[in-house]
Amino acid sequence: MPEPRIDRRSALLAGAGLMGAGLLRPGSGLPGFGLTGSGGAARAQGAPPAEAGIYGPDDPQARRGGVLTVAIANEPPNLDPFHQAGDARTAITVLMYQGLMYEDASGVAKPLLAESMAVSEDGLAYTFALRRGVRFHNGQPMTAADVKYSYDYVRDPANGSPGAADFGAIRAIETPDDHTVVIRLSEPNASLPMTLTNRFGCVIPRDTFANSQARSRLSQQSVGTGPFMLQEFRPQSHIRMARFPNYWRQGQPYLDGVLFSVQPNAASVLVALRSRRVDLALLARPQDAEQLQGQPGLSITSALSLRQCSLDLDCNHAQLKDVRVRQAIALSIDKKAVMQAAISGKGQVLGTIPAAMQESWGAPLDSLPYQKTDPARAKALLAEAGLGDGFALDLVSIIGFEWMDPAAVTIAQQLSAVGIRLNIQRVELGVWLNAFRTRNMRFTFNDWGTQPDPHSLYYRHFHSAPRGADFRNWNNAEADRLMDAGMASADPAARKQAYLGLQRVMDETVPTIMLYSPDLVTVSQQRVRNYVQHPTGWWFGLAKAWIAT
Amino acid sequence: MIEALLRRIGAALITAVLATGVVFLLIRAVPGDAIGEMLGQSAGDPAAEAALRAFFGLDQPIWSQYLRWAGDVLRGDLGTSMRQGLPVWGIVMDAFLVTLQIGLVTLLLAALVGVPLGLAAGARPGGMMDMVVESFTLLSLSSPVFWTGMVLLIMADAWIGWAPPLVYTPPEMSLADNLESILLPVLALGFLQAGAYAQFTRQQTAALLRQDFVRAATARGLPARVIFGRHVLRNIAIPLLTYAGLILVQILGGVVVVETLFAIPGLGRTLLAAIQGRDYPVLQGALLFTVVVALLVNLLVDLAYALIDPRVRGA
Repeated sequence: MPEPRIDRRSALLAGAGLMGAGLLRPGSGLPGFGLTGSGGAARAQGAPPAEAGIYGPDDPQARRGGVLTVAIANEPPNLDPFHQAGDARTAITVLMYQGLMYEDASGVAKPLLAESMAVSEDGLAYTFALRRGVRFHNGQPMTAADVKYSYDYVRDPANGSPGAADFGAIRAIETPDDHTVVIRLSEPNASLPMTLTNRFGCVIPRDTFANSQARSRLSQQSVGTGPFMLQEFRPQSHIRMARFPNYWRQGQPYLDGVLFSVQPNAASVLVALRSRRVDLALLARPQDAEQLQGQPGLSITSALSLRQCSLDLDCNHAQLKDVRVRQAIALSIDKKAVMQAAISGKGQVLGTIPAAMQESWGAPLDSLPYQKTDPARAKALLAEAGLGDGFALDLVSIIGFEWMDPAAVTIAQQLSAVGIRLNIQRVELGVWLNAFRTRNMRFTFNDWGTQPDPHSLYYRHFHSAPRGADFRNWNNAEADRLMDAGMASADPAARKQAYLGLQRVMDETVPTIMLYSPDLVTVSQQRVRNYVQHPTGWWFGLAKAWIAT
Repeated sequence: MIEALLRRIGAALITAVLATGVVFLLIRAVPGDAIGEMLGQSAGDPAAEAALRAFFGLDQPIWSQYLRWAGDVLRGDLGTSMRQGLPVWGIVMDAFLVTLQIGLVTLLLAALVGVPLGLAAGARPGGMMDMVVESFTLLSLSSPVFWTGMVLLIMADAWIGWAPPLVYTPPEMSLADNLESILLPVLALGFLQAGAYAQFTRQQTAALLRQDFVRAATARGLPARVIFGRHVLRNIAIPLLTYAGLILVQILGGVVVVETLFAIPGLGRTLLAAIQGRDYPVLQGALLFTVVVALLVNLLVDLAYALIDPRVRGA
């Protein structure tokens, strides 16, 4: 049966044409993918390999060697990509472990450990030709059996991987030969390629977890295929990585190693940058950039992110059951003022999608009726709901998330204008996660990120159970239908229509109020070259960075 | 004497067992667990959650979890960290050695600064020196450690452009780098403890100088130097030593704040991370360890008395 083939080249071109660029803001000092930069001229002559753009642009002038020091304020508890969900873990393990695909900054999944991907006409079979010459950090060559083992491990709920739900669409994985993997789905799912990227889609040698000690060993020794391998992990102190000499991309990475230094707070990251103890850092508080402005030798770049700071509304909770009350809350909030108070305005106000996806997938803010601030209408809606005299509501805020405190005060002020009296309740993260998991969110702040794909962003959070987890008890049939349509459709235009529809339903029925995406502010010493910040905030770019002398 | 020591050890061990039991119950009564952190907002699949719970034995009733843990401890196995997957003994030991070094260096600094100041102040109560020392102790005792630490950090950065190294270096790797990384924590802690030591020494000295035997010695015409060196110092040696033990235990307890501030991978930070991440085995192991260390320090102080004061040996 003839199958339409999407090879690496056309996937790359489609990605660049459809929704390339736009991710790095104008004025940022670093070149976008393949737009400018020292590599441009060289690449124009010969046909560049498709993988050249993965992680960032190649740089023929790059100097080899040196260890780059990165300050991180958020330490991963461990480095196990199969059992740990957190962003702090993923940010670092993407350098050591790779999936079949790569979540390109443009929002398209591109082949990584695969060389090409072909989809059957019914959308139920994905055939991957594996890249040749790929070795694991232990020296063993990668084969189809390793891919099958890794993905079978993730999708079996008995193994307790947080990625299990994402892999639920897979029915079977076949390995016709050592270099081909066929993934069969129980129903079409256009986001499968994005699922096989680097968060939970990592490939490790087969039978790794057959050894009962394997889980603990992942924090001491990496077994992936990535450009760097783990050298030392000292909790509460640092993570050291060394260049993987047998990395499949010849001559890369440029660096000999990376040292991640765990810093206790935002202030010490700034001190470390000023004193040149550290080469690179991503500011946890984008507004801190002001304190480094004009500091000689430091360059500061700003990029759109996939993170969102939001308010979640449990649609089963007290007065929030009434959709008019949720709409009234949405109309009372001035997101810009909240963002100003929370992060001195160093971000992008959102509608119904994070900033880095707005251009490619987002509904324009002015087309959404509940994205305005209109206290008079909010009051009218509350009166209609029989709450014209106002009412009291708890707002849950998480301890340790600094932005939430000033945001809570501002929102309390804004809501008091329409008669809603907010009591701010601060809870610990563990307590909050518990409430979240048991779908008991009430009215709360949230702070989360996504991979650059609308299915990954919306489905599990918003689709009703059992297919989704519907953490906000939204239970909206129309939304379910649109999310299912977006998942099943292979046509990008039809997908976009479905997700635009979904966003209109979200805007109208308000299960969440996405406030803003804080900008990804990267600060580096001048000697750091060719580092491009990925919108996820993960450290992909280090695979292409180098140190000038 | 030996019997008394044994009795103390026994009492402390019972305290340790009770403490771990209470901690075991309390930490489990708090909502949220290590599983929640592992799954994060990717949660939602009950089967995956149940599988993880079973993997860590969290599906068992609490009493059976406790008995299993206690049994392992008696066999010398503190278990495995849920978050890091590493053996708890190694995690706790690594962290403790870091904290111990900071504690001992701080103690040394506090004693070298605090004791001479206290002696000088106590020798002439109400004198010029006494007032200077009084001001110093007042300032140091009223400055919270985290504040002192922040001020030191900012001053070093702003005035001499120096910042502590990013990564803590153990002394066996490079002593110079190591001292650089513990400099600010030791100064911040030492500032407080030197004040405490000075105040204590001053009180002891002043009280001692009013004693009859000192007056008798003065009446006999002994020079002040001899009275001080032979009578006063020897008599306050025991209280000062007791105080050293107390201070060391206090430093080991109070080091949490400083370790967090300066990114030192010590016991305090390990404990804090274990509480935040609900890493039960690490939390229990580290607490048990802390109790045992406090007990050992007290024991050593008791033994040191015997060396200094012959009267204690007979008791």
